[in-house]
Amino acid sequence: MESLTVLYDSSCSLCQWATRWLDSRQQLVTMYFVPAGSAEAHMLFPNLDHTRTLEDITVVADDGSIYEGERAWVMCLWCLRGYRRLAERMATPALMPSVKRVVATVSRYRPHEDACMEDRCGI
Amino acid sequence: MNTVVITYLIYLLISVALTAWVGRTLYKNGALFLVDVFKGNKELAGAVNHLLVVGFYLINLGYVTLTLRISDAPETAQAAIESLSLKVGAVLIVLGILHLGNVFVFNRLRTRATEMRRPQRPPVAPSGQWIPGDAGSYSQAPMPPA
Repeated sequence: MESLTVLYDSSCSLCQWATRWLDSRQQLVTMYFVPAGSAEAHMLFPNLDHTRTLEDITVVADDGSIYEGERAWVMCLWCLRGYRRLAERMATPALMPSVKRVVATVSRYRPHEDACMEDRCGI
Repeated sequence: MNTVVITYLIYLLISVALTAWVGRTLYKNGALFLVDVFKGNKELAGAVNHLLVVGFYLINLGYVTLTLRISDAPETAQAAIESLSLKVGAVLIVLGILHLGNVFVFNRLRTRATEMRRPQRPPVAPSGQWIPGDAGSYSQAPMPPA
């Protein structure tokens, strides 16, 4: 895997902070950050279910594999130098349920202004 | 030859012997770490090992000689032994810290070097697969309810 694209919610300040942080680290796999549902996302991935990518963070690797939610987070860490071992540990059956819970909770309570306006946030 | 000089000589003997012993341990065992870090290149590993151990000896022997001087000349054998224990104790602790520091550095070097050598497969299975093309095949398990 040489690169992957992170489709993030650009209206969410937490996501923006997270993508800035990921971008600032040394990467073992090149990461591209594209707002989910944007024109660029449509251009890069025609036929992808873009509505779905707005619901939870989605990562698309250069081999076409799609990772959503907590798997996307694990993949983001896996791409960073120094965090790969942590990502591999998080992916074990012992830790994964906790990771899933944390990501689900953060996802429910993260600030996303327009989603709430359009009644998309599901809270 | 008074008690002070005898104390100094004993101090030097013990400290130098201990430094030499720890240095040799580091040299012999560090070699294995470094051969792994440098991917089997024994000459390079040997060279780096030698350089690191020289640094180790310089710092330790420097510390030993710097702290040789006893301010209050011991008058009795007991006082001499007490002074010795303080000095040798300090040398041992410094040796210990430097030694563990070296081991830590060796281990970090090795971890970084071998990090990328293991087969690099993503640790999680994909949620789906996107296949470019006008057919637009796209399969993904339905999202669980929030």
